[in-house]
Amino acid sequence: MSLELNQLTKKFNENTAVDDINLTVPTGSMYGFLGGNGAGKTTTFRMILGLLKQTEGTITYNGKPIDYSVTNRIGYLPEERGLHPKLKVEEQIRYLAQLKGMSKKDIDVKLDEWLERFEVPENRDKRIEKLSKGNQQKIQLIASIIHEPDLIILDEPFSGLDPVNVEILKKSVKELNSSGATIIFSTHRMEHVEEMCEELCILNHGSQVVSGNIDQIKSDFGQKEIIIEGDHDISFLEEMPGVLDMKQVRKKTTLKISDEQYAEPIFKEIIKLGYFKRFQVNEPSLNDIFISKVGRKYE
Amino acid sequence: MNKFMTTFLQTYVSKVRAKSFIISTLIIILLIFLAANIDRIIELFDSSEEVTTLQVDAEEAQYGAIESMFASMDAEFEIEPYEGGDAPAGGAVLSLEETDPMAFTISAENDLPDEQKTEIETALAEVQRMNTIQALNLTPEETASLGESPDITYDIAADDGEAEDEGSAADMNPLNSIIFYVTVIIMFFIIINYASQIGTEIAMEKTSRVIEMIVSSVPPVTHLLAKISAMISVSLTQLIVFVLAVIAAIQMFDFNNLISEFGLESNDRTVTLAVYSLIYLILGLVLYLSISALLGSFISRMEDLQQALLPVTMFSLIGFYIAIFNIWTSENMLVIISSYIPPFTPFVMPLRAMHETTGQVELLLGIAILIVTIAAVIWLAASIYRNSVLSTDKGILKNLKRIRRE
Ligand SMILES: Nc1ncnc2c1ncn2[C@@H]1O[C@H](COP(=O)(O)OP(=O)(O)OP(=O)(O)O)[C@@H](O)[C@H]1O
Ligand SMILES: [Mg+2]
Repeated sequence: MSLELNQLTKKFNENTAVDDINLTVPTGSMYGFLGGNGAGKTTTFRMILGLLKQTEGTITYNGKPIDYSVTNRIGYLPEERGLHPKLKVEEQIRYLAQLKGMSKKDIDVKLDEWLERFEVPENRDKRIEKLSKGNQQKIQLIASIIHEPDLIILDEPFSGLDPVNVEILKKSVKELNSSGATIIFSTHRMEHVEEMCEELCILNHGSQVVSGNIDQIKSDFGQKEIIIEGDHDISFLEEMPGVLDMKQVRKKTTLKISDEQYAEPIFKEIIKLGYFKRFQVNEPSLNDIFISKVGRKYE
Repeated sequence: MNKFMTTFLQTYVSKVRAKSFIISTLIIILLIFLAANIDRIIELFDSSEEVTTLQVDAEEAQYGAIESMFASMDAEFEIEPYEGGDAPAGGAVLSLEETDPMAFTISAENDLPDEQKTEIETALAEVQRMNTIQALNLTPEETASLGESPDITYDIAADDGEAEDEGSAADMNPLNSIIFYVTVIIMFFIIINYASQIGTEIAMEKTSRVIEMIVSSVPPVTHLLAKISAMISVSLTQLIVFVLAVIAAIQMFDFNNLISEFGLESNDRTVTLAVYSLIYLILGLVLYLSISALLGSFISRMEDLQQALLPVTMFSLIGFYIAIFNIWTSENMLVIISSYIPPFTPFVMPLRAMHETTGQVELLLGIAILIVTIAAVIWLAASIYRNSVLSTDKGILKNLKRIRRE
């Protein structure tokens, strides 16, 4: 019971937009697609939904290819936002939700609930062209989740919103996930993924840098970060075994070590010097992982 | 409810409820009712009044001649001798001065209607003629030969002796021409009006990008066909409303006057013409609206819409002109050839259906050509719509090229 991509490749003429992606999205997980502009996130989503035909590879959902027989169970928020400008919010949602097989009665009830949740109940009777961009985006998100899909695909759901609305949306997305929906979303902001996801895939120029469970990735990655704060001079630590990098900003020193086993000798060395306010071993950040895999900074 | 019906109903209901639909329908209904009452309306603006008696101020002998002349013409008014004074209400006075030629004066309260004037003038001319014949003292043979018409034969080399062909203009039945004109004009009106509507509808979905959400729920082809069917149904709804208005007008107002006035009578071609006209009207709408939908799906900016729809406007205009301007010479080469060229067929075939020289085979062949073309257009639309909905390429040519590559 999951979504699986196998050797998924998409070429636009000679340009390879997505290059041999292999990953599994477990049912009920929150899955983040991370990558810069042109990394291939949107192209991958469109292939999952069958809007673009893959050049190679397979996509299966619960063991079967995705076609129009399962689309009622899927919700999709496209990256390029837009609703029919001349329709009223209510009419547009009703139409899109009916296309997902909902009855008019259910739609009316759910629409009120969601407008309330997104704090825009007054927009129900307005024409879409009269709404601000952010409010249109909320309406479009409602359209993509109102039918309570099992699988929700959101292409950059948080872009273009103010911080208050980003929080409202994040909260709703988390709630949808905890009520059982599998959610895939794309972003180019690492902190969104760090904060919300258990699983992720980092794309770079169409190829998959890394994918899977975030904790697993971090522990497999091996590298750790040590933060030391104190008054003593500890610059000699740079010469210790396993230390990859060292940065000092006033009394705070950040070390990168290639494995957790090197932390203990360092600890033993510095306590010989006396009192330290802080000695902390951290998991690597996604940024560190990205840099070490791609050989350059993210973004 | 299935997805085809969802899109179909959404489009249909929103279009039928639109102001433009309601207003244009009402205007045409108004015109139909005006046309049904055209004779009454003309009367309304006509201050002339029919006279019922004509008092004749003339010598005994001339009075007799005039009276018998009017009697032989079945005149609708009474002939009475003049009683002096002004003309009575609803009557006129005819006074005669025996000059050569004779001089008549007609005095009345109001102007006379044109038909009555013509009637009186014809009768009086005949009286004058009889008078002259009498004065010349001709023999009966000479009198008879005056009334004979000459024997004229046309010997025209180009005609090839096919005398029947030139009959077409002569046996033009007014009712049939009206059916033909109405078919062609309504078809043209609906195509021009709805081609841009369906193009706008599809282009709007595409340029606003809502299409990506739609095609993630419903197959693009189903969506396209639902849109086309809905727009055709909207146009047919309008057509049915017009037909109902015509029927209502016939029921409500006395049409006999109008029919006899314009000589509207069916002949043995009328039924054939009506049936084929209806079939070609519907096929024509389906063809042109499908093409418009296809063209509308190519563009990515609303500004390009008119340019994209140019072929539809051009072809329907040409077809319309070929049909309208060849109504008197329907069997020429242009008509025959263009009637088999798909975009012109729906306009030109009703013209050919009006004429006896066109056989059933030709008319059925036209229908077959249209059905095949419509199938091809829909197949083409189906196979490229899917790719065109996600493309943001500008311009039709680029899109076509792109589609060929994929
Ligand atoms: N329809 C298309 N035709 C040709 N090339 C395309 C098309 N769509 C995408 N590409 C190319 O595929 C690559 C991946 O694009 P994609 O839109 O998937 O990136 P993305 O990760 O979604 O980027 P962004 O964060 O900017 O949305 C890009 O190089 C883009 O130029
Ligand atoms: Mg994208």
